[in-house]
Amino acid sequence: MAPVLLTGALFPSWQDFQPFLVTGLALGGVYALSGVGMVVLYRATGVLYLAFGAVGAFGALVAWQMVNQWGWNQWLAYAAGVAVAALLTLAYGMVFGSALAARDSLVKATATLGLTLGLLGVMDLLWTSSGGESRSINLPTDNHGFTVGQINVTTTQVICLAVGLAITLGTGAFLRYTKLGTAMRAMANDREITATLGVPIRRVEAAAWLGCGVLAGIAGILLADLVALDATTLTFIVISSVAAALIAQLRSVPITFLAALVIGVVDAAIESSPSQTFSNYHDMTPFVLAAAALLVINRRRVISISREGI
Amino acid sequence: MDTHQPGTDFTDGPNMINAYFACVNANGGVNGHPLKLYVELDQTQPSQIAADAKQLIQSDHVVAIDGVFDLLECTLDASYWKQLGIYEMDAGIAPECWAGPNSAAVNMGPRYSSDGAVQYALNSVHASKIVFVQSNVPGTGYIAAGPAAIAAASHVPITELTENVPITDANSVALKLVDEAGSNGAVVLNFTPPEALVILQAAQKLGVEDRVKSWGCSTPCDTDFLAKALGPKWNHKLFVNAEATDADDHNGPEMQLYKAILAKYGSDVAGGIGSFSQFGFLLAKFLVQALDTVKGPYTMKSVNAAIVGIKDYKSEMLCQPWTYGKLALHIPNNADYTVTPENGKMITVQGCTGISNADPQIAQYRKVATAAGVNYAP
Repeated sequence: MAPVLLTGALFPSWQDFQPFLVTGLALGGVYALSGVGMVVLYRATGVLYLAFGAVGAFGALVAWQMVNQWGWNQWLAYAAGVAVAALLTLAYGMVFGSALAARDSLVKATATLGLTLGLLGVMDLLWTSSGGESRSINLPTDNHGFTVGQINVTTTQVICLAVGLAITLGTGAFLRYTKLGTAMRAMANDREITATLGVPIRRVEAAAWLGCGVLAGIAGILLADLVALDATTLTFIVISSVAAALIAQLRSVPITFLAALVIGVVDAAIESSPSQTFSNYHDMTPFVLAAAALLVINRRRVISISREGI
Repeated sequence: MDTHQPGTDFTDGPNMINAYFACVNANGGVNGHPLKLYVELDQTQPSQIAADAKQLIQSDHVVAIDGVFDLLECTLDASYWKQLGIYEMDAGIAPECWAGPNSAAVNMGPRYSSDGAVQYALNSVHASKIVFVQSNVPGTGYIAAGPAAIAAASHVPITELTENVPITDANSVALKLVDEAGSNGAVVLNFTPPEALVILQAAQKLGVEDRVKSWGCSTPCDTDFLAKALGPKWNHKLFVNAEATDADDHNGPEMQLYKAILAKYGSDVAGGIGSFSQFGFLLAKFLVQALDTVKGPYTMKSVNAAIVGIKDYKSEMLCQPWTYGKLALHIPNNADYTVTPENGKMITVQGCTGISNADPQIAQYRKVATAAGVNYAP
């Protein structure tokens, strides 16, 4: 009896939850897209790209500027926004990626925080929020959709989930069946040996940085529509994607996708909770799920300690 | 002292004061004295704000504290100002901006503005339920107490919710609010414009904006940015409490002066015409008027005596005359407008209306104001 009462008090009924399931899956789709981008880059370069959200936000704000201030065609502007995010990421990778290649993973990840903070400052300067300024991106697909029972589903929400799935499948196939993908997997195992085998590692790394930047740009524009066109929000929303990537131990693309969907849906379920107190903890979802998953994954792992050089 | 951090930027207020001062200085200053504004920006770090206050007094030797647009300053410095005999003029956020003897605001602040938005939903829209939602930050209980009292006085149920900001799943938030309010209910938001915008747009994208009787919002939503971003679907659907006269609707001599100063000296006012710059204009104007009354040298004592002596200063931008006075608390702006989006602009749908005495703080202010002979009638 007690668990039933607890469930009723904390979670909504299935009927009430259905609309939230749609929003959760849509968000999860974009988290997946971002998570996959980070996993691919990590596998190729060893860099956990924490600037993913900031770069996406920058691309989205550039697109907003082009549409609303310069009168560009919407689709052209979105493509340009993605291109800006891709070029920014590529530039960072080319300048700092190779310079930090031999450093520890923690150093590499921390260095991307520098890019995050720098971009946050630039965005705050260029797109100020003083005087109540607020911006938004509304994709044309927001105006189309369908209804399932009482639930409205927009085309944008379908696109978010579909793009997440397509990128996951496409990336999986790319890593498995293409030369470039094989080279990236080889680099993930050992960069030096891969280089001695004649693989042009700079070119492979550049492709990984560029691909990650493209995904950051796409995710930025989708999240700007789905969540908010706000530099801070978009910069830190990447946490959910990092959690998904961590659950997949920064290796498995399909697990990243599934973990991202679970994070999106669980977050929406907690947000829809009849309990206000419980609902306010929904932002903890990615942290709690990542921590729980890592504890379970590492449960049977043997810790080996070696003492070298003695 | 003004909050300036990613996501919260109140610098339009001090920038407008600087514009006003530049205009005054270009015309000979106050009794021949040029005005100088010292601006300290903070990132809501209490130690930084307290240090800024001491620096302004001890190092910069300022004679007045005017133009505070800050999330925390009133709370942190109230006792310091009292100790020094300084009467602060601000456009505040923290409860102490309205609750003490040494602070008076030109704005109404989140609590009383939310009162006004709830009042409109009850009295004009006749909503049978109110859902009041705001950021999940410290101090929300103080704000929510006002709308709760207003709804209780009308015997209408109210649900008070909080949301973590920045909002990361606006669709779920919008769905929850609409479900909670029901078809005869009203949702009243107390958020900054970007957060309010994401909720309202999410409701529109999900097609649930018409599933409630009306939407309301406290003053921050009163911007043309929001009206433009929302589009025509929200015309006469969203009702926003406005603490100052809408600059698009009115064009009297004072509004023309505000716009002229903004155009000539306000290049740093990024948001242009809007409530933040209007409050900056009022804070500068009232101070200059008070300084004009000072006989003899401008010292901390003489200037603050002039400030606390401000009585019945009239403005086109406010519903009622503005008075400081030696009172236990100050809520000189306690009557306001309601505006709604119409074709990319905010237009007035309800003229000056006093905030109900059902809010015990408003009742208390009116009691002490009446006893002191202060005119607060709209």
